[in-house]
Amino acid sequence: MTLPVLSLVVGFSLAGTILYLVRRDHLHGPYALGWLLLAAMVIVVAIVPASIDWVGRAVGIYYPPILLCLLAIAALLIKSLVSDLERSRQERKIRRLSQKLAIIERELADLRESQGLPPLRPDHEHDDT
Amino acid sequence: MHPSCLIVIPALNESATIADVVARTRQVMDCPVLVVSDASDDDTAARARMAGAQVLELPIRLGAWGAIQTGLRWAWRHGFRQVLTLDADGQHPPEALPLLRARLADADVVIGTCPQRLSLAKRIAWAYFRILTGLRVLDVTSGLRAYGEEAIALLARPEASLLDYQDIGVLMLLSGQGLALEEMPVAMRPRQCGRSRVFSNWFQVGRYMIHTTVLCVARIRRRLPAGSTP
Repeated sequence: MTLPVLSLVVGFSLAGTILYLVRRDHLHGPYALGWLLLAAMVIVVAIVPASIDWVGRAVGIYYPPILLCLLAIAALLIKSLVSDLERSRQERKIRRLSQKLAIIERELADLRESQGLPPLRPDHEHDDT
Repeated sequence: MHPSCLIVIPALNESATIADVVARTRQVMDCPVLVVSDASDDDTAARARMAGAQVLELPIRLGAWGAIQTGLRWAWRHGFRQVLTLDADGQHPPEALPLLRARLADADVVIGTCPQRLSLAKRIAWAYFRILTGLRVLDVTSGLRAYGEEAIALLARPEASLLDYQDIGVLMLLSGQGLALEEMPVAMRPRQCGRSRVFSNWFQVGRYMIHTTVLCVARIRRRLPAGSTP
C-alpha cells in the first residue's frame, strides 16, 4: 500500500467515524465540524501530495514536509485550549446547578413542612451522578 | 431600621464543632443561621439542624467558597440584606458578629482579622499580594466577614462561581466594582481541630501562590459588564 492510499483510507475512515459518532449522539455538533475538516484535509493531501509543497513554498518554509508537523501541533494546541475553555464553562454550570439544587431541596422541604406533608426520604448517600 | 440579616456557616466534616458554633451564634445574634454542608461525609448536617440552624446540603463538594456562595445565593433569593459568615471549626468567636455587623453601616464588606495569628509565611504572602493587587487588606483569607446588600448581589453572580477560594479573587471582584472593604481586628481562638487547608504543605502553598498570582495579574482593573443580577 502506498502512502497516498493509506492517507485516503485514514481520511475516509476518520470522516466515517465522525459521522457515525454524531449519528449515535456521542459527539456534539460544533466538535464534529472541526474533526470533519481535519478528515477533509487528510483526503486532500492524500489525493494531491504536492499540495503540501505548494503551501510550504508559498509561506516560505525551507523544508515543506515540516509544515505538516507544524500545522498538526498548532491544531492540537488550539484544540486543547478550546476544550479547556469548554471545561471551565461546564465547571461553572455544574457548580451553579449544585448550589441551586441544594437551595431548592431546602425550599421544597420547608414548603412540604408548612403544608403538613411528611418529609421526603433522603437520597442514597453521595448520589453524585 | 434593622435590615434583615443571615448568618452563613460553610461546613465540611465539622461534626465535632458545628453544634457548638451554631448554638453560640444563636445566643449572640437574633437572626437565622444557615449552615451549608459541603457534601460532608459525617453527620455535620444533622447536628447543625439539631442545634437550630437551617441546613443546605450540597450534592457535590464545591470547596469553601462554593459553600459560602450557596449561602449568598440563598440570601439573595430570600431578600436578606446582610450576610455574616464564620468558619464552622470554632476559631471565630461569634461574639464578634454584632460588632462586624455594626461596621456594615459605613462599608460594603467587613473582614474580621486576627493580625497576631498570622505566621511569617502568611505575612510575606499577603504583603506580596497586597503589592500585586493594590488591595489594602491585612488578612485576605479570613472567613469571618460581613457582606452588605450590594456585595451579596455581586458575589451571587455566575462571575464569582469559578473562584476556588474566598480570598484574593473575591476581594478583587468586590474592590474592582468599587465596593468599600474594611478590616476589623478580632481576637480569635486557635483552630480546635483541623488545620489551614491552604497552608498545609509546601506543594499546596506553591500551587496556591502561582494560581493566585495568575488570577491577580489577569484581573487587574477588570470591571464586570453592568446589569445582570444573579
